Amino acid sequence: MMKTRRTGAVVLTYLCLVSGAICCLIPLLWLVRSSLMSTEDMFKLPLIFFPKKIRFQNYAEVFTMVPFAKFYANTIFVVTFNIFGALISNLMIAYGLTRIEFKGRKLMFSLSIGTLMLPAYVQLIPLFIEWNWFGKINTFFPLIVPAFFGNAFFIFMLCQFLRTIPRDFDEAAFMDGANYPLIIAKIILPLAKPAMAVVAIFQFMFTWNDFMGPLLFLNDREKFTLAIGIRTFISTYYTPWGVLMAAATLTILPLIVLFFSAQKFFISGLTLGGIKG
Amino acid sequence: MAGAKMGFNTKRQTLWGWILISPLCLGLTLWVAFPMGLSLWTSLTEWDMLSKAEFVGLKNYITIFTEDELFLKSVRNTLYFTVLSVPLQMIIALGGALLLNTQVRGKRAFRTIFYLPSLIPIVVSSVMWLWLFNSQYGLINYLLHSVGLNRVQWIDSRHMVIPSLTIMNIWNVGNIIIIFLAGLQGIPKDLLEAVEIDGGRYWHKFRFVIIPLLSPIILYNMIVNMIKCLQLFVEPYIMTGGGPVNSSLSFVLHIYNNAFKYGKMGVANAMAWVLFILTLLISLVIFKTSCHWTYYEGDR
Amino acid sequence: MKSKFLVIACILFLISAGLCFANGQKATASDQVNLKYIYWGSPAEDAAVKQALSEFEAANPTIKVEPMYLPGDLDGSTYNAKMKALAVSNTLPDVGYFRPEEFGNYAENGYFLKLDDLIARDGMDDSYLPQTWLKIQGNTYGAYSAAECQVMWYNKKVLEDAGVPIPPTDYRNAWSWDEFVTNLKKITVDSKGNHPGDPGFNAKDITRFGVSYDLWSAMYYPSVWSNGGDIIGSDGKTVYVDKPEAIEAFQNLSDLMNVHHVMPLVTGGTSVSPMTMLANGQLGFYVTGQWTLLELGTMKSFDYGVAALPIMKKPAQLYVSGVNVVFNSTKHPEEAWALQKWMMDPSKTLDLYTSGLWMPTKMSYYTDAEDLAKWLDNDVHPEGFKEAVVDSMAVAVNEPIMIKNINQIWGDYLNSAVESIWIGEKTAKEALTEAAGKIRKSGLLQGTY
Repeated sequence: MMKTRRTGAVVLTYLCLVSGAICCLIPLLWLVRSSLMSTEDMFKLPLIFFPKKIRFQNYAEVFTMVPFAKFYANTIFVVTFNIFGALISNLMIAYGLTRIEFKGRKLMFSLSIGTLMLPAYVQLIPLFIEWNWFGKINTFFPLIVPAFFGNAFFIFMLCQFLRTIPRDFDEAAFMDGANYPLIIAKIILPLAKPAMAVVAIFQFMFTWNDFMGPLLFLNDREKFTLAIGIRTFISTYYTPWGVLMAAATLTILPLIVLFFSAQKFFISGLTLGGIKG
Repeated sequence: MAGAKMGFNTKRQTLWGWILISPLCLGLTLWVAFPMGLSLWTSLTEWDMLSKAEFVGLKNYITIFTEDELFLKSVRNTLYFTVLSVPLQMIIALGGALLLNTQVRGKRAFRTIFYLPSLIPIVVSSVMWLWLFNSQYGLINYLLHSVGLNRVQWIDSRHMVIPSLTIMNIWNVGNIIIIFLAGLQGIPKDLLEAVEIDGGRYWHKFRFVIIPLLSPIILYNMIVNMIKCLQLFVEPYIMTGGGPVNSSLSFVLHIYNNAFKYGKMGVANAMAWVLFILTLLISLVIFKTSCHWTYYEGDR
Repeated sequence: MKSKFLVIACILFLISAGLCFANGQKATASDQVNLKYIYWGSPAEDAAVKQALSEFEAANPTIKVEPMYLPGDLDGSTYNAKMKALAVSNTLPDVGYFRPEEFGNYAENGYFLKLDDLIARDGMDDSYLPQTWLKIQGNTYGAYSAAECQVMWYNKKVLEDAGVPIPPTDYRNAWSWDEFVTNLKKITVDSKGNHPGDPGFNAKDITRFGVSYDLWSAMYYPSVWSNGGDIIGSDGKTVYVDKPEAIEAFQNLSDLMNVHHVMPLVTGGTSVSPMTMLANGQLGFYVTGQWTLLELGTMKSFDYGVAALPIMKKPAQLYVSGVNVVFNSTKHPEEAWALQKWMMDPSKTLDLYTSGLWMPTKMSYYTDAEDLAKWLDNDVHPEGFKEAVVDSMAVAVNEPIMIKNINQIWGDYLNSAVESIWIGEKTAKEALTEAAGKIRKSGLLQGTY
């Protein structure tokens, strides 16, 4: 009796997982399928599931219709610096907030969390005026510099993470004569490496996905990033859907490649609860 | 207690603390406090950014609540979306994580597949779902039709548009699954075994071990997602423009329209402040109640 | 260890690649004038404008023009947001397109160069269509970049299949509304071959529609005007949208979708491209802006024609376009004006006109047979284009952009009211009466610029 119940549960588990997986994948497969079709074929009924005439030309047109290669380079440039900034600043801040007792840290933590609740889109206008005072409109500075000042999401996440590392580790290091930077570098960083990978990947995604920032701060199309670059395909009167889907596929491709190659870091980063206090 | 044991005296400790969090302090000043101040001041003026700002006191706030009927509608839409999305996301993510945390084959493959949608930039997924939801040429309706069901007007219907955006949002649930899964895997095996030894069922494990140990992660995800949902913008902006008949007009989209479409910076900033306070209140309630149901290992 | 090295190598590569490209700034000669030209449009329009700009550069070797493309959208909110950002940061370009609905506001705030003296000096006053010049309080601050209007394309093969006669092209003797609807019903067909009105007709399973109208504010005007109505009076203070003429016009359009089932219901997003449906033979007629001819002209796969707009009570036409302005902040007003003049002169930028994107604003291209042939005599412009479209400009009325807050009146009240008509939730009378009441109370009726 126990056995059949087990089997039933297992079958149900697989059923749920497989149907979930299908739901996750189909939209993406549909995207790729559409990217290989002419716009005319996409609007035919009954729907053509697999294009008979595969149209790779869409992918070529992505680069000829708009400076898509430039969008790529710009995005990578911005993303790289954002990751760099996020890694340094957030670990420092999170360590300071969780593992050093000093007056005001609780307040700073709450303030930081408070920024999560800010309606980010409205801050953009005052931010725009501010960056204008710095004379840095139409440069990548407004998109890069803020990453070096910490991000409430990451701080919150790293704080949650650091709280699971017992304080005894720090104390033991102090016994051996270490100081804070040394502790961060030698003890926390190795333990937090997977969490840092998460920060890096999330930052990668935030920046890659950012839509309003580039839209507001960048004027020249030569400086556009992919997120707003894609929009230049969407026209009011006639959208080349096949090409748009090809551009979309090309936009998500690096994300997927990166994810597959860095998956181990990413998953293990969140799994690191292995140290028990 | 632990702090006092450490090698530094309180003064050095305080100094180091502030040094380490100095980027945060600077960042809060430069990218938060100052813009917020500017925004607050602007909310008290009538300003289209082209001519000079004119101080009007609280007029904008009064206008929002008395004259602008779309304001309350946008609040309703946004709350509807949030109330629909967040619990569903939490339940589905927790369910997915629990399923993945069993002895299934291909765990890694499933995990990867579930996560994939979260990678997709919102602009891309908006374009993609716009296409899937299309009532004539969309895949979803095509499949419904081919199994004999009626076509649904997804984003073209004022009743379905928010649920449609919710479906789209749930598609992105993978990252929460991964975080929950990581949390589940961090639960000490001996605790679970202890429940088994005491003759507990799966439910007991779930109720007395898994939920308490997972609570900080649930709290984190709940708040982050609630805030994300309250800031719903790109999807309606790209997919529906707030329609049909303003039924997907989100709070932020309304603010955006006022600021950029109509150049009413004062009104837009006043709305932003209302949103800020609303978000703050909701979060405060969650935080205040959270001490009853969250549990940290590192804290005493 | 190996993978770590790889990751580091990749990061270094990315940084260096980024730096290389970031340093790619060019030095410019001192006697050279640099202009920035701002514009929106589809990828095809982008290419066409770039071409025109580079020809200008070739003709004026001392002037360099930097094209500044912004993505556009239906209501122009992205473009407007960008423009506002540029205005606030004092980084406006020198010359280029401007969204019509914001023109008055910016002109009043002194952002545009006053053009009257330049126009008079270059003797351009009388040689352009009178509607072209946009005046605020008697001063000219901009010009419509082209003469654009509403047209009705059709797919010849679809009409033949459905047994519908080729519609008239003379805009004064076009189909009446009833004739139009009758023919649309003949075209519309469900998957079982039934037409609207047939006993077994299934409105949820239509494979070919009669017509698709572009549903956005500017495109409603010709229908309302054709029925003898208006939306907001030209004084900017009187609401006419709840008068019977306007109500009937909107109800007629709504009936196409909800009563006759000859038009697909399209709200919100831009997902269904009626242009593609037309090309695929899933649509008989497409009522849209004339500039779509640019895309249509590239579709060699089907035979399209143009018909005169159906008449409700009298022929009507809309004069709509982006505005061309020279920004007051430019350091080179002469050169910027020269560029604007270039873009307005069909003899210089003929491609923009022969390709179907624009219609000229210059008078002689309407009156002089030789000039007319220059832009009409080609594969792109279908037969009858002159009678149906060009000649109809005689009755064209400007889009009422001089009414203050007109953009917000549409955005806050009319669009949603009209949308609730389209989805069949309210009748035109209910929705428009309600909206008109709100508009009158809103305080947005502040006259004209």
